[in-house]
Amino acid sequence: MSEVRIAAESRTEFGKGAARRIRRADKVPAVLYGHGIDPKHLTLPGHELMIALRTPNVLIRLAGEGIDEIALPKGVQRDPIKGFIEHVDLLLVKRGEKVTVEIPVTTVGEVASDGILDVQLPQLTVEAEATHIPEGVEVDVEGLEVGTQITAADLKLPAGTTLIAEPDTLVLHVIAAPTEEQLADELGESEEEAEEAADEDATPEDASVEESGEGAEAEEKAAE
Amino acid sequence: MLIPRRVKHRKQHRPDRSGAAKGGTRVVFGEFGIQALEHAYVTNRQIEAARIAMTRHIRRGGKVWINIYPDRPLTKKPAETRMGSGKGSPEWWIANVKPGRVMFELSGVAEPVAREALRRAMHKLPMKCRFVKREVEA
Repeated sequence: MSEVRIAAESRTEFGKGAARRIRRADKVPAVLYGHGIDPKHLTLPGHELMIALRTPNVLIRLAGEGIDEIALPKGVQRDPIKGFIEHVDLLLVKRGEKVTVEIPVTTVGEVASDGILDVQLPQLTVEAEATHIPEGVEVDVEGLEVGTQITAADLKLPAGTTLIAEPDTLVLHVIAAPTEEQLADELGESEEEAEEAADEDATPEDASVEESGEGAEAEEKAAE
Repeated sequence: MLIPRRVKHRKQHRPDRSGAAKGGTRVVFGEFGIQALEHAYVTNRQIEAARIAMTRHIRRGGKVWINIYPDRPLTKKPAETRMGSGKGSPEWWIANVKPGRVMFELSGVAEPVAREALRRAMHKLPMKCRFVKREVEA
């Protein structure tokens, strides 16, 4: 995997006020740590960082005044609505060093027509050389029958990668699709329930819900 | 329909309507999802209607996850009642959903099918929502 060069500036002021000023200037506050060094607080350009982070486990070369390091993104905090990057944790790595990372599991092909593919482990924990992290693991699911299970041990990992997850961890399996009758029953029942509920508008829906709190007995007595 | 089996207090205050979701903001179980963009009280009927809408569209194809649960009761006084005389009777069960929350997830279907299924489900919900996909990132 090639590395992405990003210009980094040292950060001297901290706290939410400073962080907001940095974000207003289209930059991202970041922290770099690892290998027992003191954490370095950095400011990174927002747009370049956002593009770099589109690649999972991208290797970032930080360059700036007194900074020349390679790092992996360890944690990315995003705004849940707008999606901009609020803060990044970067893990310092050295060339040739082995690191534990999560790589995506991708599937190829279609399972048997009466089955549904259920991916239980979309990201697999592996150990790989920091400068040669695989982009992902591909699993061929073409024609897999209902009940088939693929565990972590069954995956063909790229060369130089070691599995860290338990070998018997379920990665994906094929579950039976509901039959037409089951589906019709489920949808029919739900509609009936909804109709019944609509008819019972006068009665509170929770007539069957039991109260178990401390105040329950007192309330009952008061009602009497 | 989703309804709690047992509650500590049958009548509660109305839940807080401020702030954004603290967790549950990413798609984790399935491949696609519906994310809330506004705050809303989602009733158990709306959850059920959304589930039926997407199940009806995907037919036998995929798997659906519901990430919210209607565990808060809302009460209502009867019409034309004078004020006082205690709190009204429980009328609805709601999930207090805040912006950013991924409410439903779907997997096992192609993206165009998932988009359409979730679009239909969004029409059953009381707030603005958007379609989201699972992201792979550090």
